[in-house]
Amino acid sequence: MLNSMLGQYRRTIILVVVFLLIAILEVLEVRTTIYGNSLPFFEWMKNSSWLGIIGTTYGSVYATIEAVHLLSMAVIGGTVLATDLRLLGVVLTDIPSETLTRGTHKVFRNALICAIATGIFCAAGVADKVYYMPVFWVKMLALVAGGCFVFLVKQPLLNSMPHSEINPWTIRLLATTSILVWFTVAAAGRWIGFS
Amino acid sequence: MINEMLLNFAHWLEAQSYSQMLVAGYYSYSWLEATHVLTLMLSIGSLFIIDFRMMGWMLTDVPASKLAERLNKPMLIGFTIMFITGALLVYAKPVETVQSLWFRIKMILLLLAFINAWVFNARLKAAAGSWDNDAVAPKAIRIGAIISLCLWCGVVTLGRYIPYDWVDCAITNNTTILWAAGCVDQLQALQ
Repeated sequence: MLNSMLGQYRRTIILVVVFLLIAILEVLEVRTTIYGNSLPFFEWMKNSSWLGIIGTTYGSVYATIEAVHLLSMAVIGGTVLATDLRLLGVVLTDIPSETLTRGTHKVFRNALICAIATGIFCAAGVADKVYYMPVFWVKMLALVAGGCFVFLVKQPLLNSMPHSEINPWTIRLLATTSILVWFTVAAAGRWIGFS
Repeated sequence: MINEMLLNFAHWLEAQSYSQMLVAGYYSYSWLEATHVLTLMLSIGSLFIIDFRMMGWMLTDVPASKLAERLNKPMLIGFTIMFITGALLVYAKPVETVQSLWFRIKMILLLLAFINAWVFNARLKAAAGSWDNDAVAPKAIRIGAIISLCLWCGVVTLGRYIPYDWVDCAITNNTTILWAAGCVDQLQALQ
């Protein structure tokens, strides 16, 4: 019933509701309360969890996992750029965008899982520092936004019909948003190292 | 002999005002490093897509040579930016970099990666047309793709090791490591 009423805009409406909820929670200062209450968790991550202990004890393990994190980000970036630049008509123009979107998604998803897993390990080793870094929270929010965008908006829309039937401006907007979101995630991650 | 020459050259570079400017600037070094790392997404991201296709791990319904040919340009743009920013990073901290064991191994792996890329391309051209639509490339090309993946994973990992000081000249007393890292002064002090 609800599905038939909302039709193809169901996911978009859910996403708008989520963002509205976030805005309301922000106004009610719920976010700052959550941040304040999460400090003990970050301290536990660094000092007591085995991830934090391995990360702080074995520098070479930490650096190697950091490298795997970087490589995962490279694969995410490669698949995002190949797909989105194709949607924008910049590269691979003689390969159907449907084929490219479908063919790169599995690798993107696996690389994202790997990046998140290694990212948790890296964050655990310096949890007491990253907690106080605004850029870390920017990265986390961008990551959540990127994940929601890809799995709730971009992929469902691109897989729902031939791309020639979608408004070209919608496709351009999707591709540009995707590049910007993932660039923000990567750049914020790089900036954590400088902070 | 070669270690002394490299160190003298590094000292000469470090004495230049532009080199000092890059390190002294509040954001210049960070921007260079960020650009160097973020360009990974374009260069190694494109390269891995090509290698994954050869292995039959993705885009198996796209002709392999077409994919490799089309991704060549963005990949080369990425690598060009990486080499320019990488060279500037070395220029900013030449003495430290020249005496880094990880940097030296990274350069060797980079050289091997380029030789492999050259052989890989030659094999790709020689076999063109015969297997293009197959899900998996012929064995010789797959071996090239695996070597490429391993070498570039090594390059990125060693690049990540460079800021760490586990085997810095001032820390280690192992003469083999000191020689391999080009720690000329420390080696002379030990002899």
